[in-house]
Amino acid sequence: MTHRANRTLQVAGLARVEGEGALHVRTVDGEVDRVELNIYEPPRFFEAFLRGRDFREPPDITARICGICPVAYQMSACLAIEDACGVRVDGQLRALRRLLYCGEWISSHTLHIHLLHAPDFLGFPDGIAMAGAHRAIVERGLALKKAGNQIMDLVGGRAIHPVNVRVGGFYRVPTPEELRPLAKTLHQALYDALGTLEWVAGFDFPDLEVPHDLLALRDVEGYPLDRGEPCVSNGLAFPTAEFGRHVVEHQVAHSTALHARLDDRMFLVGPLARYSLNSDRLSPVAREAADAAGLGPVCRNPFRSIVVRAVEVVYAVEEALRIIESYERPDSPAVEVNPRAGVGHGITEAPRGLLYHRYELDQAGRILSADIVPPTSQNQSAIEADVTQVVHSHQHLDDHALQSLCEQTIRNYDPCISCSAHFLDFTRERT
Amino acid sequence: MSVVVIGVGNEFRRDDGVGPAVARALAASGIRAEISDGDPVRLMEAWDGAEVVVIVDAVRCTPSVPGRWHRTTLPHSIPAASSHGFGVPEAVELAEALDRRPQQLVIYAVEVADVGFGTSLSPAVEAAVVPLTAAVLTEVTTEFPMPGH
Repeated sequence: MTHRANRTLQVAGLARVEGEGALHVRTVDGEVDRVELNIYEPPRFFEAFLRGRDFREPPDITARICGICPVAYQMSACLAIEDACGVRVDGQLRALRRLLYCGEWISSHTLHIHLLHAPDFLGFPDGIAMAGAHRAIVERGLALKKAGNQIMDLVGGRAIHPVNVRVGGFYRVPTPEELRPLAKTLHQALYDALGTLEWVAGFDFPDLEVPHDLLALRDVEGYPLDRGEPCVSNGLAFPTAEFGRHVVEHQVAHSTALHARLDDRMFLVGPLARYSLNSDRLSPVAREAADAAGLGPVCRNPFRSIVVRAVEVVYAVEEALRIIESYERPDSPAVEVNPRAGVGHGITEAPRGLLYHRYELDQAGRILSADIVPPTSQNQSAIEADVTQVVHSHQHLDDHALQSLCEQTIRNYDPCISCSAHFLDFTRERT
Repeated sequence: MSVVVIGVGNEFRRDDGVGPAVARALAASGIRAEISDGDPVRLMEAWDGAEVVVIVDAVRCTPSVPGRWHRTTLPHSIPAASSHGFGVPEAVELAEALDRRPQQLVIYAVEVADVGFGTSLSPAVEAAVVPLTAAVLTEVTTEFPMPGH
């Protein structure tokens, strides 16, 4: 394949869970002229049909936005509505929420690492082909994913779109005896998670250091999942209620999804941001494992996000164990939440990054307006910038290799996009 | 032999819920029956430990005779999936790669009329649930009887 100055890479997509993704790359005279990531994002419909619904409904309704991270939607929804109603959920109920969230992180990250992302690094077309050659590793990954699902089954009622979450807490809380068998599973899972981290740390990573601002939650203690204050790598921190003043969404002509900027600057959310702003908050085992995997306190190479995810799986398993070991069944499965007129904001850390919900309620608890800003939307500009940089520095590659690298660059960010962006028709045009 | 029947489908997409409907009916008859959304990993988990796996799934055909069903056993080798629209074939493929393919795999595929939003089956597919359940029940109890039966 010759190295051409003018070329167009067109990656058209088909819908799966999250909608559709497509990539369009054009180079003119050897310069990257255009990189457009086109994603269709369902949440806007959700915002519209949440209007007029009861304030207790968003955890179940918004969970349906994503089959991979329903807990994230439930948690951000609960936080926002509780904020509007002047309620704060703490103690063991909060710990249970965190436990449920750990289950989702373990399950979502493990799926992405093993079946979606690792094949890129090892030269396999997909996870199934990789499974044939790396059977024990994939088995280990599936066992880890199953451990995450077991947490969600037990605490959430089921692994996909859990049914046990409600505003104020849960419908039913488990007994310590019910949680105990999980601990046994998680002790093995910790061993598997450390093995997974060691495995991915040995991959070859393309060189890429991104300058984007990093946005993630940071809490008074612990690694951020279910709570925290939005913090930026430039030192800025702001209250959750001011999220909308800093992160501003805007439309772009080439995509039906909204793009976003943070104080008019490009930024990213997700594992890299979380880790770089909170690496000092990891548990000792996870911190030590991250060091051994070659991660410093900050990581700005999106290709290494697979390593960060593996560190976060180690952390989530340890954190789940910690919660189970100190668990005492709360007297009531939920805090009473009474509606009042007002606005509430909630942010939690979905596996793919910071997820913001805002609800405006009337006196009777009817939703007047809703706003949901998912991580995918926030990351779109950063993904396009990364693809631009990758294309610019790899023009010597033939179309096939360059397309693969572009797809890998997209997969660095988000498993849902990975799925949709993997349905590829590839065409090229000579200008 | 140990048998599991798995109804694959989404009960919120009308006729796609035919597999789950049959699985529920079979579970009421004391058969080990599970419901799955078709995710390959969870499908493999659902059939874990079973020697015989019977899958009931919806299939879209053109032209379609809604309610008509087809019984098939997958060949040992199936073409590689070209997409990530994961479903039963990918589950079998992944299971083969991991040496977790069941000894026997039977698939009942039911032709559908409508897989739009909704929780009710179309009349033609609804009418097939009882005879299809009976057919699967007959197969699992006569072809693969449990020890002691």
